[in-house]
Amino acid sequence: MTLFVKSLNITAVTLAGLTLGVQASETPQHIDVKQFSRKVEDVVVPLPNEVFGALNKLGSVNWKDYVRSDRGSNFTERPRIALILGSVIADGFIAVQAKDAPAVKEIGQRVLTLSKAIGVGNSITPHAKAIIESADKNKWDNVRAELDRTQNSVQQAMNEVHDQQLSQLVSLGGWLRGTEVLTSVVNKNFSANGAELLHQPDLLAYFQDKLQGMPEFNMPLLKNIHGALLEVKPLMEAGPHHISPASVKKINEITTRLDSAIVTKE
Amino acid sequence: MKRSLKSFVARSLFVGLFFGAFFGARASVDDAQSFALQAAEPYVKEGFQVREDYWGGDLGVSEKKAVRQQLFKGNEYWFWMGTEVERAKVSVHVYDSEGKLAEQTDGWEKGHFAAAHIVPKATGSYFIIVAVEESSEERTHWALVYGFR
Repeated sequence: MTLFVKSLNITAVTLAGLTLGVQASETPQHIDVKQFSRKVEDVVVPLPNEVFGALNKLGSVNWKDYVRSDRGSNFTERPRIALILGSVIADGFIAVQAKDAPAVKEIGQRVLTLSKAIGVGNSITPHAKAIIESADKNKWDNVRAELDRTQNSVQQAMNEVHDQQLSQLVSLGGWLRGTEVLTSVVNKNFSANGAELLHQPDLLAYFQDKLQGMPEFNMPLLKNIHGALLEVKPLMEAGPHHISPASVKKINEITTRLDSAIVTKE
Repeated sequence: MKRSLKSFVARSLFVGLFFGAFFGARASVDDAQSFALQAAEPYVKEGFQVREDYWGGDLGVSEKKAVRQQLFKGNEYWFWMGTEVERAKVSVHVYDSEGKLAEQTDGWEKGHFAAAHIVPKATGSYFIIVAVEESSEERTHWALVYGFR
């Protein structure tokens, strides 16, 4: 947010020049992707609203069916809290799609509570306040932007104290909840284009890789998630045009099971 | 006293250089991101949601870096690259998972800004290739942000 505001204050002279920009003339039509294999940066995990936006374009979705604002019990295990935090932020994006102000406000409070429980509450307080204020005014674009900032601030705060693994679990929690809802929507009214949105093999590989790199996170829940991702992988790797209704249903069952496991005390 | 002052000056110099180098490097990456966001600003008015998350680093002249990104068919994406080195020339292009150029033709390069536009024909992984084509610096900080609608 700060950087964006800062950028707005930078002189507009250059901006005028941008519109006159030129297209590169010698862009190769093909590249050898293997050549870049050692230089590839980490995957940036898409926000749930990125896939929800694509889903909206395929037909109307009754988002109110998927709104959830109560996340039940409080936990003390930091990895679990990180997963729930990601899931709750995803719920925030769903509530924005449904334009459900009371749910958004409850989610804003829940995000703050979870952030405090994990030790990053200070950086989240202004975002939670902005989410609640914007929901009160039905400024949905602002709520959406603030949810993105919230996730970014949570992860930055975690990275600053070398809790990168927790930061990755926030992304994973959001991805799992987003995938659960995506498969639920597509399962209800199957279309090949809807199913194609599940073609995310690199993201899956990324999460598997990150979970494997968490040996100190010796929790049954994380092992459970890792095992489930192995189940999901072949279903998502079928190719963009070959994800069947049965695969969508199976992925939905797996992600629903995981979602329940995340919020259930062992 | 003299020795103590000398030691103090030496320590202050060391601390100053250390923090100067640390915050100087950090500021450059942040500045690069500010320029990338500056390039994105006109598109926000067109309905693009710009992500808070971004990629950044430094590159030598003619050096390229690949960023892998999941894109969804149905969405439209712009990637904006920027650097604080005003004499630099940067580029950004989008390829599909097979290595085929997948971007629209309205991408642009303007000195230390560049942008690429893609309307994905399929959902999946894409490669965003960033490069520093020219620069007055040995290493040039860069940042890449993206937006979608």
